[in-house]
Amino acid sequence: MTAKRVVSALSGAILLASTLAGCGSDSGSTGGGETLNVLIGANTIYPEEQRKWFDDISARFERESGATVRFETFATPNDELTKIQTSVLSGQGPDIYAIGTTFTPTVYATGAFLELTPDDWTKLGGRDRFLPATLGISGPDREHEVGVPFTTRPFVMAYNRELLAAAGIDKPAESWDGLREQAKRLTTGGRYGMAVAYADSFDPWKFVWAMSLQAGNPLVSDGKARLDEPTVRDAYRTYLGWLATDRVVDPAAVGWKNAQAIAAFGAGRAAYLPMVSATSKVTLDASAVAGKYGYAVMPTVPPGATARPAGGQDATSILSGDNLVVAKYTKHRDLALVLVKLLTSPDQQRTYYETFGELPTDASAATALQADPALAAMVDSSARSVATPFSGAWSQVQLALVNVVVQSVPGLSAGRVDESRLSTLLAQAQSSAQAALDKAK
Amino acid sequence: MPGRHRPLWLLAPGAVLTVLVIVVPLAVALHISLLDLDQYSFRQWVRAPFVGLANYTEAVRASGAVHAIVLSTSYAAIVTVVTLPIGVAAALATQDRFRGRGLVRSVFLVPYVLPAFVVGTVWRIILQPDGVANGLLARLGIDGGLWLNGRQSFWALVVVQIWASWPLLYLLALAGLQSVDPVLHEAAALDGAGWWDKLRYVIFPHLRGPVGLAVIIAFLHNINNFTLPFVLFGVPSPRDVEVLPVLTYVESFQNFRFGLSAAMAVLSLVLIAIPLAGYLRAVRLDVGQDGVDQGSRA
Repeated sequence: MTAKRVVSALSGAILLASTLAGCGSDSGSTGGGETLNVLIGANTIYPEEQRKWFDDISARFERESGATVRFETFATPNDELTKIQTSVLSGQGPDIYAIGTTFTPTVYATGAFLELTPDDWTKLGGRDRFLPATLGISGPDREHEVGVPFTTRPFVMAYNRELLAAAGIDKPAESWDGLREQAKRLTTGGRYGMAVAYADSFDPWKFVWAMSLQAGNPLVSDGKARLDEPTVRDAYRTYLGWLATDRVVDPAAVGWKNAQAIAAFGAGRAAYLPMVSATSKVTLDASAVAGKYGYAVMPTVPPGATARPAGGQDATSILSGDNLVVAKYTKHRDLALVLVKLLTSPDQQRTYYETFGELPTDASAATALQADPALAAMVDSSARSVATPFSGAWSQVQLALVNVVVQSVPGLSAGRVDESRLSTLLAQAQSSAQAALDKAK
Repeated sequence: MPGRHRPLWLLAPGAVLTVLVIVVPLAVALHISLLDLDQYSFRQWVRAPFVGLANYTEAVRASGAVHAIVLSTSYAAIVTVVTLPIGVAAALATQDRFRGRGLVRSVFLVPYVLPAFVVGTVWRIILQPDGVANGLLARLGIDGGLWLNGRQSFWALVVVQIWASWPLLYLLALAGLQSVDPVLHEAAALDGAGWWDKLRYVIFPHLRGPVGLAVIIAFLHNINNFTLPFVLFGVPSPRDVEVLPVLTYVESFQNFRFGLSAAMAVLSLVLIAIPLAGYLRAVRLDVGQDGVDQGSRA
């Protein structure tokens, strides 16, 4: 008995000691040379290539600056958020973070990241060398930018050339109404006009945002939420109607995430696949539709219209991709900027595109790619991307938008979009979005 | 051994760990639940505005927490009540030696050893609108409908959790059965007791302790279960399965309302403390061999 107690006491002490040691070990510098820590999303499509890329960058940076780079990866946005939270609270952690564009306003709101001065931009090789559209979500205004555009992943739609040709459709529609009509013609013999991921946690708001913005409603303006408006209602009606009333989407799509929609299109069971980025190419090139599909920009004429109304924006996609931000607590500020410059340099951006299929943000590197016909739609969409509203509350607005779809799905099997239910849900979304915006600072 | 001679200092490492791992975070959580802590203030969270009980009033009045508590409690209760007889029956069935008993016992434990994430992912595939479950129901002429959203989603959660959690009841019931002295079985047989009488008067009294513990643990597991509903339904969660752990998570990591979320966490702590306190009282786990004296001091 006594021996047991001693053992448990000892193991307790050891555990305690190791816990305490664990707290203090992350000092961030090694030996003589300095070390930069970079947190970046794990690339699940090209894990091997990513590891090699980490090594290449580290080696090159060490040659050029004498300092080493250590990459850490996160698997999900939540991992990243947790890491940011703990680092920001403790004032230590990665020096540079690669963060998603729509998440940049939230990160900015924490006030924990370096606002880039004109001098900093000069050190990065000049603000002008970036594609103007990619700078759209770097900060609330030009004087308070934290994000340096790193990669861009504009959304487009994939279409099955054979199915379109068989239905006598010569090119993808440029209005949402036109797309619906084409989708109706394409829905025959167990095939559907579109593959849409209704159960995805992110896709639905991107549709609603695009359709609303094209009708002139940016959803948030001057700190006011504008979710309970006819433009938004039309967007939901259209998006939900594809499944409920137009029946141009597989009824099983109410359970689909983005990957399942891609799989359905890849199996040739749908003619259109809206809201995908260049990363879908890997899957599709290995699928049954390899060589038979193309990409086009999504419609930019809002539902119920044949031409974009005055005030409506020509938005093909949200501004999507990654920004690099430098933590304020970093002890290697200048070194971090040198690394950011390297990561966004034209030749690195080209390598990055060739390795991972993500488009460059550097204007000269992007221009070089424009010649590739396979990329025409993406490059076009990249230039016509519009940033989502720059607000620390945007994540909450996003959640409120998706929630409307989630709570509407059970009613869709009745074969109609329940107007009164939609009104209730929109009113709820409006009030929670507004509450979040009211707290924004 | 009189109290003052006991080597109590040996407990010190455990006590320090308890303070570090349980008491400090709990105190911090309580403190945060009184702050208006969000993405704008968490960098200097100590200086976040103190709002008293505002987070608690918001949680109760405006956040869906009450709905979530009702949902969590009823779901946990249903699952526990259903898994209890299944677990006990399975333990009784594998009590006596028979060919292949080891295999059956191992198979029974499969749902329990699978990580919740895997269970959720697999069932998510099974319960898709065009998935295996609806395929089977269609053969019976039943239209399965939607399992991962809408009213049926609650029952989907219940069924999957039952599937995943009954082995816990089974394991503890089996442990209880092992402790029944074989002599009692023989004596009961000699007295001419039928199987039901034997079960009712000989075996069940022995099972009360371990099965009671299993019921409490199972209930707490169910009410605190985050992974399964999160993986099955995702966020934002359908209203019918917006259980308290998921809601707490959403407030923290999607809405960045850390104060509100901490208040919800404290509420759920209170919620699970009630059955726990009842149980500890009932079995007097807190009383040592040497008396009630200790228990009343604790």
